[in-house]
Amino acid sequence: MIERRLERMGVMTDRGKAAAYGIFSLSVLLALWICATSLFQWIEPRVLPSPAQVIRQFAWIITEPFSGLRLPGHILFSLERWGWGVLTAGLVGIPVGVFFAWNPWFKTFLNPVFELIHFIPPFAYIPLAVLWFGASTATQAMVVFVAAFPAIVINSQLGVAQVQKIYIDAARVFGASPFRTLCRVVLPAAAPSIYTGLRIAISNGWMALVGAELVVGKVGLGFMIAQGQENASVATIFVGVITIGCLGVLIDTLVQRSERYVLPWRRVAS
Amino acid sequence: MEQSAGKMAPGTTNPAQEAPAKLELRNISKWFGPVGEGVHAVDDCSIEVKNGEFIVVVGPSGCGKSTLMTVGAGLEAPTHGEVLVDGRPAGPPGPTRSVVFQKFALFPSETVEQNIKFGLQMTGVSAAEQETRLAEQLKIMGLELFRKSYPSELSGGMQQRVAIARALVMQPEILLMDEPFGALDAQTRTILQEEVQRLHREKHYTVLFITHSVEEAVYLGDRVVVMTKRPGRIKKVIDLPRDVVWKTGDIELAAEHPEFIEFRREIWGLVREEIVSI
Repeated sequence: MIERRLERMGVMTDRGKAAAYGIFSLSVLLALWICATSLFQWIEPRVLPSPAQVIRQFAWIITEPFSGLRLPGHILFSLERWGWGVLTAGLVGIPVGVFFAWNPWFKTFLNPVFELIHFIPPFAYIPLAVLWFGASTATQAMVVFVAAFPAIVINSQLGVAQVQKIYIDAARVFGASPFRTLCRVVLPAAAPSIYTGLRIAISNGWMALVGAELVVGKVGLGFMIAQGQENASVATIFVGVITIGCLGVLIDTLVQRSERYVLPWRRVAS
Repeated sequence: MEQSAGKMAPGTTNPAQEAPAKLELRNISKWFGPVGEGVHAVDDCSIEVKNGEFIVVVGPSGCGKSTLMTVGAGLEAPTHGEVLVDGRPAGPPGPTRSVVFQKFALFPSETVEQNIKFGLQMTGVSAAEQETRLAEQLKIMGLELFRKSYPSELSGGMQQRVAIARALVMQPEILLMDEPFGALDAQTRTILQEEVQRLHREKHYTVLFITHSVEEAVYLGDRVVVMTKRPGRIKKVIDLPRDVVWKTGDIELAAEHPEFIEFRREIWGLVREEIVSI
C-alpha cells in the first residue's frame, strides 16, 4: 500500500528500482547483441545469429513442427518430466528432512548414506536411469529427482531443527501429542525454510532436466537444442536456451509469489 | 479442615493437617548436565501453592527461577525431588497447569483465535464449547478486534494478552507465569499487572508467578519466595497482607502506601544481598 502511494508520488521504491535496473541491464545486453550482429556484423551469423533471426526461428518453431513437435509441445514434455521429478522429490524429501531433524537416531543412521549420495552429480545417474526406465518420462524425471532431492532434505531438516524449543514446550503444555505438535507447530514454523529448499530444488531440477534431455529422449527443450547442433542451426539453439531461461524465471517467480498465499502469516511478518 | 482434623486416625502426628497444596514443589534440585559437573540451577527448593493462592518467586537473574517454573510445569524433570498436584505426582505437562511464557510463545502461523483455541482443540473440547470459551476470553482480555490477526501484527502487550487468554481458556487449576511482563515496556507492564491482579481477585486462580521485579512481587503476591543466587535455594518466604485496600487499586497508588514501601524495602534488601555478594 505504502509502496503504491510512494510510486504515485514519483518516489522510486526498492522493488521499482530493482525492476528498472533489470530492464536496463537486459536492454544493454540486447543493444550489444544488435550491434554485434545486425548493425555492425562484428560476429558472423553462423556463430551468433541476430535477434531478428532468432525471432524468425521462434515464430517458425511455434507454427511448424520441429523434430516432430512444435515449441509448446517440447515445452510441455519438458515441464511434465520436470514436474514429476520435483513432485516426487518434494513428497519424499520433505518427510525425510523432517524426520532427520525430528528423530536424531534416524539422522545418525541415514546421514552417511545421504552424504555420499549428495556428492554424486545428477548426470551420473543418466545411464542408470536409461537402463532402468528406457526412453520414458521416468528417465528424465529420475535425473530431476536426484538433482532436486538433496536441497529439499537439507532445508527441511534445517527448518525443523531451527524451530525454537519454546514453541514445542508451549504445544506440550497445551496438551498436544508429538505428532500434532509436528503438524501444527513444527511444520508451519519450518515452512519458510522448506520453501527455500523447494525453490533451490526447482532450479536444480530444471537445469538437470535440460542436461538429461541433451543426452536422452526424442522430445523436450534439451533435445531441441541438441537437434539445433545436429542441423548446425545456431538460431534453434538460441530459441531453446532463451525459452529455458525464461521458463526458469517464470517458474521461480510463481513459486516465490505463491509463498504469500501458502504461508499467509509471513506476509505480515516483514 | 477442622472437621477432618477431628476424624483423623490415631497416630497422625499433625493434628492441624490441611488438604494437600494445589501445587507442591518438594525438595526440587535440578542439574543441567551431569550431577557435580554441569550447571547446578536449583538446590533443594520446596514451595507450596495452596488453592487460590498467588505465590511470587523473586530472585536475581540467573538464579534458577525459570527452571523452577519449567520443572513445575512438567517440561523438565527435576534431578531430585518431586512435583505434586493435590498431593499426587504431577506427571507430564497438561491442561491442568497452564503456562504463560516470558517470550509469549504464541504460534506465529496461527491467528489470535487459533492460538487461544489451540489447547481446547488438543484436549477434545467440543466445538461449541470452544467458541463460548474463546468469546469469553476475547472479551476479558480486550482482544475482540484482533481475533483474525497474526501475532506478528500485534504489539508485545497484545501478544502477552493473547498468551494469557490462551492459558486461561483452559480453565486451568494452576497458572504458571514465567516473568510474563519482563519483555514489555513499562506502561504496558503496569496495565497488565493491574489486570492480572484484578483477575486473580475475581476468579481466585492458583498462581505461581516468577519475576525479578520486587514491586511486581509485592503488588501481586499473597506470599513472596525470595531465592538465592545460583544454585537457587529458598532464602526467605514472606507472607504479605491479603485483602488490603492498596492491593486492589492501581499499582502507582499501591507503591505509595507505607506498608508496600516497607515490604518492598525488606524484599529488595534480601535480593540485593544476593546480587552484591560474591
